[in-house]
Amino acid sequence: MRLHAWAWLALSSLPLFPLSAATRPRYGGNLTVELSSASSEAIAPLIEETLVRLNEKGEIEPQLAAAWQRDPDRKRWRFSLRPKVVFHDGEPLNAASAAPSLAAALKKKYGDVNVTAGGQTIVLQFDRAVPDLLTELASSRMAISRPGGQGAPNGTGPFRVTTWEPGHKITLAAFEDYWGGRPFLDSVTVNLSTTRAIADIFDIPFSQTRRVLPEHIRIWESPVHELIALVSDNVQPAVWQALALVIDRTPIVNVLAQRKAEAAFGLLPQWLSGYAFLFAAAPDVARAKQLIFETRLTPLALSYPSNDGFVRSIAERVALNARDAGIAVQPTPNPGGALRMVRWTLESTDAAAELSRIGALLGLPERPLNAARPQELYEAERSMLDAHRVIPILFLPDVYGVAPRVHNWDAAQKNCGFTLHLENIWVDP
Amino acid sequence: MSFRTKIFLSITATVVVAVWIVAGVVSTLVTKSFERRDEQRTATLVSQFHGEFNRRGAEVARRLDAIASSDEIARIAVDLGSPQADPGKYYDQAQTLAREQSLDFLELVGPDGSIISSAEWPARFGYKESWLLEPGDSRGVFLKREELADGAALGLIAVREVKAANGQIYIAGGQRLDKKFLDTLPEIEGLRVQLQSTFEPATPPREITRTSPQVSLTTIPLFGRDNQLLAVLLVENSRSELASLKKYIRGTALLVGSGAVLLGLLLSFWTASRVTRPLRELTSSVREVAGGKWDTRAAVHSSDEVGQLARDFNRMTEQLVEHRDRMIQAERVAAWRELARRLAHELKNPLFPLQITIENLQRSRDTPQFEEVFRESTTTLLAELDTLKTIVGRFSDFSRMPAPELEPMNLNQVVREVIQLFDAQIHAAGRPPVEVRQELDENLAAVSADPEQIRRALRNLILNALDAMSPNGGVLTVRTGNLPGKVALEVSDSGAGLTPEECERLFTPYYTTKQHGTGLGLAIVQSVVSDHKGTITVHSEPGQGASFRIELKV
Repeated sequence: MRLHAWAWLALSSLPLFPLSAATRPRYGGNLTVELSSASSEAIAPLIEETLVRLNEKGEIEPQLAAAWQRDPDRKRWRFSLRPKVVFHDGEPLNAASAAPSLAAALKKKYGDVNVTAGGQTIVLQFDRAVPDLLTELASSRMAISRPGGQGAPNGTGPFRVTTWEPGHKITLAAFEDYWGGRPFLDSVTVNLSTTRAIADIFDIPFSQTRRVLPEHIRIWESPVHELIALVSDNVQPAVWQALALVIDRTPIVNVLAQRKAEAAFGLLPQWLSGYAFLFAAAPDVARAKQLIFETRLTPLALSYPSNDGFVRSIAERVALNARDAGIAVQPTPNPGGALRMVRWTLESTDAAAELSRIGALLGLPERPLNAARPQELYEAERSMLDAHRVIPILFLPDVYGVAPRVHNWDAAQKNCGFTLHLENIWVDP
Repeated sequence: MSFRTKIFLSITATVVVAVWIVAGVVSTLVTKSFERRDEQRTATLVSQFHGEFNRRGAEVARRLDAIASSDEIARIAVDLGSPQADPGKYYDQAQTLAREQSLDFLELVGPDGSIISSAEWPARFGYKESWLLEPGDSRGVFLKREELADGAALGLIAVREVKAANGQIYIAGGQRLDKKFLDTLPEIEGLRVQLQSTFEPATPPREITRTSPQVSLTTIPLFGRDNQLLAVLLVENSRSELASLKKYIRGTALLVGSGAVLLGLLLSFWTASRVTRPLRELTSSVREVAGGKWDTRAAVHSSDEVGQLARDFNRMTEQLVEHRDRMIQAERVAAWRELARRLAHELKNPLFPLQITIENLQRSRDTPQFEEVFRESTTTLLAELDTLKTIVGRFSDFSRMPAPELEPMNLNQVVREVIQLFDAQIHAAGRPPVEVRQELDENLAAVSADPEQIRRALRNLILNALDAMSPNGGVLTVRTGNLPGKVALEVSDSGAGLTPEECERLFTPYYTTKQHGTGLGLAIVQSVVSDHKGTITVHSEPGQGASFRIELKV
């Protein structure tokens, strides 16, 4: 009986074995990733890390900093570094090795910062209150690294660089001494600027998202976190208002973005601000024509990034919409146009911080914002839109194709903000 | 205008006009020939254009057929026929299909005329292409003006319709009709072809040809599907070859014309030397004869009319000289006769009393009155001898006129002095009344003359005038006045006047119309005037008095 019982158990386990093998983590293997150059920054967190990071709820959580304290007026911040962390070149992470890159990054944002390093403690002293410092430190711009060979980054991330050919190919190997534990993958090969959809992970242009893909390929979308907008600082107010009225976002969302994007009428997406729907407005060509009825119009050049075909197609559509109202807009890849089409990526899940950052990008006066007060955020965003400097058009997600041999993809991305995290995924042989 | 100039102008004008006419005729013929050639070349090119147009059209139609019958379009047609159809996912399909079929334009248009996908202007999805819904030839190829993001272009377009569940899908596509298209036409030297799709609205919808010195431009209108003028084909024939040929003709004509001018110049010189030189010599000889040199001879160079003229001239001068000599001789004879007559007359008057006196003296020799007769007779003899001496003295004075001693003098002053001398004689008792008028120019220029001789001449003229008015009196007028380069002195009387014959002989020595004149008074006046390089003239008619006018150089 006992033998039969074991035999039954063995036989009944046989059909389950493949399933168990697919869901159980597995060490080893190489993951191929193909990214367009526009998405290449997505892999930076695999190599370099920041003191803190944002979780899926937009909350700050420790990364290289194990703990931190601040004084009541938020001018002095003290970070205790995580122990037993080493850089890819074997150098231990301490205040002395971390401070240079951190200080350089902070100086770009805060000119008054004074960085003091001692042992495992870094103290940041500011002349003024910096309430959003933690959000800023979670940005990839504040990643801590040391000089590496051949210009390759030398960080503390789960993967170290073995081949560094910017714009072409990057090869990463699992960092055995990673403080969070060795990643499951042995290596990652990242091909840039080619998307032949033959890799394990590849970004999908919006024009391809509804095309016929191999059946086994799964499409994964991140939350919308990129804003495409029209900006300018020297267009007549009447023309600017007319432009805002004639842009028809629906065809852009449905056709150019293949329904993967959201029409943007505000500067923050609905999921982040909660009030974005209040800005929505239908296009009104007749009203636009009235606004510019007696305005002396001159052709406007609309600059778009020369390497961004998607933004170019949006620029051409905007130019076509503008023509309906009698406004001559000529898209051009040359910078310096009176109008500019920009693609801005959200860097945090803090609405107040993002509004402040966008305001700074637009050159608008800085004003303190409290993320806990939506009314205040709404009014701030409304005033930014009324400044006639920006016309939001579209919010975009990242869209990736994921091969079936890749496991734990969704869980691995949940906690990652807007960048790729590959340390917790594994692949079939 | 000289004879030489006339000959030169005649020859030059004749040759130049002839050359101009020939050059014009040749140039016109050449121009017409080139224009015929240009017309043929243009017709050839237009024929080639239409041939290529049709060939490309057939090619476009074939490619549109291929697209319309492709699996992709069939799949799209089926997909769009479903109620949940989303044409948005095909918005870049046209670019792929256009690339595969090498088409410049391709649009997939839904049953309602909305653009599903546009290869030439991808951003235009959703916009309407209403013209596709209008009835028309769905199989033909036509010209169409395509709106693009950066302007407009001309396209050779065809349309195909594919049935879908909810209507029809329209496929409109084609190729550009541009410079590349024109470059495929066989090249014809000197011929340039352009396609102009932007033109004035007033461009006439017919073929026209305009020419300029550089080009001949033929405009051929190209129409679209609805007979709308969409473009013009400009065929430009270079006229540089014609222009250079005409330039060559003009240059040759100019060269020949210049040669004609030179030839005319040479011919005129040669002809002039042959014709005008004898004439000029003859003219010179005539002038010499006119100047008083009557023995002048003209050279005889030829036996033609000019030579004959020279010979006749020489014969004429010979006759003139002979005639003059005869006249001089006759005048000499006449003068001597007159002198003899005058001398006889003058001498006869005193001789007769002498003879009577001597005869009385002889007869009274033995008479007691002899002493008284002797005294009276010797007195008479002495008086008559004085008269003879006076006569002889006058003749002697005339023969011994001294040379004038010139000095600046005022004629008015001389006139006043001389009239003053005659004042007593004029107003003497028993004399007929004579009124003296002095009409003197107070601004009279001074003359260089001998005052004594002028005074003497004036005395003679006044005396002559007074004699002319002696029976009844009259008016004596003395005038002075300025003339260009000289002064005039005029003495007029209101006497009986002179006949023309008397006027002619008036200055001849010893000629007189008076009973007791010597005929030397006016001869002396003429002699004085002549010695002062002046002139004296007389104007008189019978019964109208006489007027003597002396002109002296200033």
